[in-house]
Amino acid sequence: MTKEELGKMIPKKIAEEFEKCIKCGLCSATCPISKELLLEKYTPRGKIQLSRYYSQGELDLTTRYQDIFAKCLLCGACVTTCPSGVELNKVFISMREEVAKKKGVHHKMEDLVRSLIVNYNISGEDNSKRGEWRDFLKDLPSHMYQKGKAEVVYFVGCVASFFPMVQRIPRNLVHILDSAHIDFTVLGGEEWCCGFPLIGAGVPEKAREMMKHNLEKVNELRAKRVVFSCPSCYRTWQEYYNTDIELLHSTQLIEKLINEGTIRLGAVNTTVTYHDPCDLGRNGGIYDAPRQILKSIPGLNLVELENRLAQSVCCGGGGNLEMADPVLSGTLAQKKLDEIKQTGAKTVVSSCQQCVRTIKSRARRQKINLDVRDITELVLKAMSND
Amino acid sequence: MLLKSLADEFRSIVGNEWFLDTPEDLATYSYDGFLPEFRPDAVIIPGSTDEISKIMRLANREGINITPRGAGTNICGGSVAKKGGIIIAFHRMNKILEVDPENRCAVVQPGVVNADLQKEVARYGLMYPPDPASMFVSTIGGNVALNAGGPRGVKYGVTRDYLLGLEVVLPSGDVIKTGGKTLKNVSGYDLTRLMCGSEGTLGIFTEITVRLIPMPPAKATLQAIFSDLDDAAKTVSAIIGSGIVPTTLELMDRVVLDAIGDYGGAQFSKEAQALLLIEVDGEELLIDAQGRRIEKFCKERGAIEVQRASSPEDAEKLWQARRTAFGAVARLRPNCIVEDATVPVKRLPEIIRKIVELTDKYQLKIAILAHAGDGNLHPLIMTDLRDGEEMARIEKALEEMYESALSMGGTLSGEHGIGIAKKRFMAMEFSQSAIEIMRGIKKVFDPNNILNPGSFL
Repeated sequence: MTKEELGKMIPKKIAEEFEKCIKCGLCSATCPISKELLLEKYTPRGKIQLSRYYSQGELDLTTRYQDIFAKCLLCGACVTTCPSGVELNKVFISMREEVAKKKGVHHKMEDLVRSLIVNYNISGEDNSKRGEWRDFLKDLPSHMYQKGKAEVVYFVGCVASFFPMVQRIPRNLVHILDSAHIDFTVLGGEEWCCGFPLIGAGVPEKAREMMKHNLEKVNELRAKRVVFSCPSCYRTWQEYYNTDIELLHSTQLIEKLINEGTIRLGAVNTTVTYHDPCDLGRNGGIYDAPRQILKSIPGLNLVELENRLAQSVCCGGGGNLEMADPVLSGTLAQKKLDEIKQTGAKTVVSSCQQCVRTIKSRARRQKINLDVRDITELVLKAMSND
Repeated sequence: MLLKSLADEFRSIVGNEWFLDTPEDLATYSYDGFLPEFRPDAVIIPGSTDEISKIMRLANREGINITPRGAGTNICGGSVAKKGGIIIAFHRMNKILEVDPENRCAVVQPGVVNADLQKEVARYGLMYPPDPASMFVSTIGGNVALNAGGPRGVKYGVTRDYLLGLEVVLPSGDVIKTGGKTLKNVSGYDLTRLMCGSEGTLGIFTEITVRLIPMPPAKATLQAIFSDLDDAAKTVSAIIGSGIVPTTLELMDRVVLDAIGDYGGAQFSKEAQALLLIEVDGEELLIDAQGRRIEKFCKERGAIEVQRASSPEDAEKLWQARRTAFGAVARLRPNCIVEDATVPVKRLPEIIRKIVELTDKYQLKIAILAHAGDGNLHPLIMTDLRDGEEMARIEKALEEMYESALSMGGTLSGEHGIGIAKKRFMAMEFSQSAIEIMRGIKKVFDPNNILNPGSFL
């Protein structure tokens, strides 16, 4: 291939992004991967320059390229730090796609992609089991939360649907929605993966099939809004699903219900710290809603982490890193535990099933006594104390 | 390309893992914050002084070029392999070896990040004053090599003023120690200061002893807005001349203010043509009086608005504009050249007038940002490197700007370094004999010219 042909492989819009990089290197200051691996190729600046060298035909794509671009959490810390406004995330996602086209899907993401194509979910199980989280629900209504028509669709997401450690999240949320008398439904086996793991694995065309399906199902129900407990599903819908339907993260909805007086909270006398999920905070712009919810709980004392809001550091669970490099992902989770410990709080709250799972798993493995909660658990507890 | 036998010898010194020569590694150590790029033949990440000594001995014997690199954030091309050879990076030598509060100093390895040192010494109520804009990534080794400054330089000076001692590996592989932990030291030539700002051409620092000062207990932050750029510049030299020593005294012109506003930052009134950000620190009582004096000064000299921060959050808001300034301006055109010609502070109004004149004369887009309190200008020249015709005009404007700065008793570079960025202008500042002396010094340390060749000499 000639240099010119190679250059055309990268969409022009993406190429403009890395042309904006002034090589100042400030992005390394906030990139959790750079701080851990130190070598320049793993820094956001290094990756941007590698993208440029590839697009200019100076370097070929290799499996080393694949490894380098897989070592990224897509957490967006670099985007926030960059003084030139480079949309680094977009470049990195585009490069994952390029590498996948040339070298195939990253070998550690092959099972994931296969499962998504066959089962429409990340778990490897049949998608008809998507409703399993309902099994332990007391007073499960006869419609089992799957109605033919509803105002609100609750998009549960793969992780909360299939991973027992966090299946409590949808159970909590449906209780909250029921208490608020909200007319809602889930899609059950017709809910497919939102597509984000496929985008992260470099196969966006497969992701588009998922998106098309999900959007059709939601439209069929003539729903007015979709609610997500998973920040990544929420963000993916916002960014990639072309729809006018109102999209809300559960924390936004819960905050609204509290403000309206629809749900009432009793005291929970405890001290907690809050971890901002990357896709909800930095990438989704939602910092206030979860904090307002926590502040509405009488008796609850919130102590902030050293790195919070836009400076929040990824728990290690982002960007498919857990699959590509579990050891690195674990090291970053440990750093998160250390940061939590500094606050003195015995409970950490987050509003993302993936963060909860990553932090909880690490704590268990390291035999660290830490209470890890999704925000819906606290809300439910406060509601029952009213 | 290194001969395989040589590469193997280097590998045996540091271990396979720390000798890098994949295309991806070579490419990502081919740049720093400046524009031109040079692919090295290999990258070595040593773990100790002993390993560096062995590397240098071998490189010297074989005539292989060595270029040391901290975080690669400098903007003069100081840490790129201009003549090929090996890049030495200090990622593994990143330990703070000692904080010694009684002697008010710290001993660090070269790869320690400036901000990490600041954070650590703050736990002892101490401060390491040099605060280059790159401080969250740049290393102390790189800061020493480039004699880095920063906004706090007005009051506290630059890296040189806080450097007490060094352990240095020479190109021969010999290890020397210069200076120590004492504030006073007049024994022999001051090799420590010679090393500071030598841009990696004389030796490789492996241990650095820096002076610390007590953290000032209080500060006051003020923002003054002027409807005339010249008034603002005159106020700067007046404040300095009045006996007040601000920690920081930053100036921004209308182009910068517009860029900040367009980038979603603070909005400034139509009349605002320049902004001064002024900070004083010290004992609470003094600060209050100084703050009021500065306020009065600014108003007397034509400030249309003076604001004093009433809380740390308020101060942060005032700083926000300054912090976003570079990024906001840099995105206006594809490339942005950051200049740093520097003049004695009294001449600040003159050099600013000169830059405005050159902007018109050569039809350029230049934003004026300055660490004004120490006469250190940072004109930001917005351009597109691919536009050869415009680049030629910029080159002419730069030459005239340096001529003016030098004629005022200034210098080509206040804090960014010469490297390859301003090498061609060296003869404007130095006589032939002065340059010969520098070359002579270089020869004593590095007779085979293997250390960062192609740099300013």
